[in-house]
Amino acid sequence: MRIAVCIKQVPDSTRVKVDPQTGTLIRAGVPSILNPYDHYALEQALKLKKHHAGAELIVLSMGPPQAVSIMRLALALGADKGILLSDRAFAGSDTWATSYALALGLRKIGHIDLVLCGQMAIDGDTAQTGPAIAQQLRIPQITFCDSVSVSGRKLTAKQHIDGGHQVVEAALPVLCTMTMPHDYQPAYPAFLKIMQAQDKPFETWTAQDIGADTSCLGLEGSPTRVDRIFAPPAREKGEVFEGGAAELAQKLLEILRQENVLKP
Amino acid sequence: MPNLDAVSRELMLDSLREYAKRRLPFDYLRENDEKNRFPEEILREMYDIDVMGIHLLLIPKEYGGLGGSTFDIYRVCEALARIDLGVATSVFATFLGTDPLKVGGTEEQKKKWMSRIANEKLLVAYAATEADAGSDLVNLRTRAEHITKNGKLVGYKINGNKQWISNGGVADILTVLALAPGGPSWFIVEKTAEGFSANKHEDKHGIRLSNTAGLSFDDVIVPADQLIGEAEGQGLSQAQAVFGYTRLMVAAFGLGAGWEALETAIRYSQQRIQAGGQLSEKQGYTHKLLVPHAVRLTAARAYIEEVANKLDGGDHGLQTEGAIGKYYATEAGNKAAEDSIQALGGYGYTRDFSPEKIKRDVKITCIYEGTNEIMEMTICRGRWQEHLKSRGGYYAAIASEMDALHASSPDVGADACACGLRALGRVLEECRVQKLTRHQHVMFSLGSLIAEAEVAAAMCRVAASKNPSPTHRLDRDALKAIARVSARESAFNLASKGLKLVTGSAPAGVGALAEGMELPQIEAKQHGNTADMDLIAAKLNEYFKAK
Ligand SMILES: Cc1cc2nc3c(=O)[nH]c(=O)nc-3n(C[C@H](O)[C@H](O)[C@H](O)COP(=O)(O)OP(=O)(O)OC[C@H]3O[C@@H](n4cnc5c(N)ncnc54)[C@H](O)[C@@H]3O)c2cc1C
Repeated sequence: MRIAVCIKQVPDSTRVKVDPQTGTLIRAGVPSILNPYDHYALEQALKLKKHHAGAELIVLSMGPPQAVSIMRLALALGADKGILLSDRAFAGSDTWATSYALALGLRKIGHIDLVLCGQMAIDGDTAQTGPAIAQQLRIPQITFCDSVSVSGRKLTAKQHIDGGHQVVEAALPVLCTMTMPHDYQPAYPAFLKIMQAQDKPFETWTAQDIGADTSCLGLEGSPTRVDRIFAPPAREKGEVFEGGAAELAQKLLEILRQENVLKP
Repeated sequence: MPNLDAVSRELMLDSLREYAKRRLPFDYLRENDEKNRFPEEILREMYDIDVMGIHLLLIPKEYGGLGGSTFDIYRVCEALARIDLGVATSVFATFLGTDPLKVGGTEEQKKKWMSRIANEKLLVAYAATEADAGSDLVNLRTRAEHITKNGKLVGYKINGNKQWISNGGVADILTVLALAPGGPSWFIVEKTAEGFSANKHEDKHGIRLSNTAGLSFDDVIVPADQLIGEAEGQGLSQAQAVFGYTRLMVAAFGLGAGWEALETAIRYSQQRIQAGGQLSEKQGYTHKLLVPHAVRLTAARAYIEEVANKLDGGDHGLQTEGAIGKYYATEAGNKAAEDSIQALGGYGYTRDFSPEKIKRDVKITCIYEGTNEIMEMTICRGRWQEHLKSRGGYYAAIASEMDALHASSPDVGADACACGLRALGRVLEECRVQKLTRHQHVMFSLGSLIAEAEVAAAMCRVAASKNPSPTHRLDRDALKAIARVSARESAFNLASKGLKLVTGSAPAGVGALAEGMELPQIEAKQHGNTADMDLIAAKLNEYFKAK
């Protein structure tokens, strides 16, 4: 079995502040990390690899040359090979252009049974790239998965839904986006593994290497336009009413009328 | 296997910090500090090669280690010190304990002991100090007598006591300095050896998570092949050989602890409102309690990295440089911690906030691995030789380098630095002519001035470099301002303190020394200092934002 995990380097958003005047992110002194959802997806992939003898795990990322550090992290944690798509032509790509490039990268890797992505990147929170890759590769997708398992050519995913989860099955190849538990603590490698990762295969591919049409990349290839970035106003605290069901229903009706939601 | 690269080094630091976040939160450290408890389980975990394997860094690759460079180990020491200096000391004691072996061991000894240390999670201790042998090891009393069998030397019988040995009560193996018939020599002693015992864990001012204990050797028998190097009398030179390197690691401790305290104060100052505004906006506060420490600690890092790179580039010894690094960085760290308490006001004085603990912990860095007074002496002796050898040209040459630097980078304070270095050269020369180094006070004070001058020069080099090391975590504008402030300060101190020193001790007066000191120029170069401090204060707030 061949598994690919798409990973992204992001600023540690728990340490990013928003400039109240300009609405832009203050990135000075903020370290870069492996997107936690991707970290989780990678750990799930490593679990699969452990259970499937001979399975191969490849990590793919698009980013600047510095993103080599998340590649190494993934290799130190147990991935077999890393591929970084890095080229000035990729700079400024939105989720659509990014997924175009990543899909081409995955195609170039060749046969893949399973693609795992994080549900979203914590610097953009769009949750679009994973599904868009599946679309571009024309393979099925299952989003918001807690865990996945594979038996033969069948994948079973535990998918997170409002108020619970559902179990979904799909035939390989398939793409799953992974969502992490709220108390997830990412694994970090021991020193010896980090050293050994220096010798694992790692390649950098350019836009040309993956045969990309450069007009579909970067700002030019990105349909998204950012109008304005701002911190939403803090929500006011709601009112709390207590009482029996009938009493509360009556109260609710009253409020809905007051607020002109229902005609009196 | 190639050497560790910078990406790997950063990942190791990430692994270490993440581990600390989970296993060594402040409350845990505080509790162990209060109970004076050595967290053995933590150390064993850190030495577990599947969890972290931090000790592998100091073990050469051929024995199953990672063969970390001086730079790698400096970074790890700094990161450890930011977590807890007690834990850091325990790790460091293993580093120290293996050093005599690394430097002086036979191939067979290295193979046997290094591989065991790599694979068996062994804690190691380094036992030199005794009740009457501290800074000066001449009065070493612990003895190792020959045991012979049929006229052949088969082993040694060790008798004596050691004092204040880090990991002393918990180490699995110890390297012990003892007086053999052929002179001071290092021996490897296993804790299971009959006749060996450790006393209780000392009740210390700080680094209370580090086990410190006295040791007794009562007819402890070690086989002859546990004499490191299998030749007697090499002990002191084996210890000396690594001082450049080991003292740089203690310098990294001062740096890490100092920055940890300072960053705590910087972040606090943004949240604390007094007199209608944040403390971080008040010059009387920032320019006294924060900025000077950021300047000194940044300059200390510049110097430490310069020496680490030299050692990694193949320079040997660098004892004077190690002493300068240790002296300057630990004094800077100690002062930064002290002022961080002040910066937090009443909160700083309580045990609920980390500066109080850091202050107690960091003090040890001014004492162990050679006290800072011994460092002053070592620095002065080392550079005094250079001054004589070069017929007074040693600092003139560095001053010329700074002049050249100023010509290409006019905004890093290299001109002020050059004035200071020339002043230092003149002071040294006057001390030679008037034979003033017979005063120990003069010698030690010169050591301190020399350290200040050389560190300031290193800072100017960093600020002028196109790619300053990212370890500084500040942008080039900030680094340039820091270099200017540090160069001005050092020039001022070198001239004024140098003059004071000579005037105070010279029976014949100082003659024309004052005229040659460029005092008016040095004063003129102070121009813009407050504005630079303003800039540094603003940058500190930008880079170390409150959480
Ligand atoms: C927590 C802790 C851990 C330690 N760990 C270890 C360890 O693992 N292994 C080990 O071998 N040792 C260890 N030591 C010992 C440490 O290295 C010594 O304490 C240190 O070298 C100073 O020696 P001393 O305590 O005998 O002080 P002294 O040498 O007596 O110094 C006392 C004071 O006199 C000054 N002084 C000394 N000599 C001179 C001089 N010639 N001229 C002017 N002033 C002088 C000193 O600077 C100091 O201020 C440890 C100590 C402590 C406190």
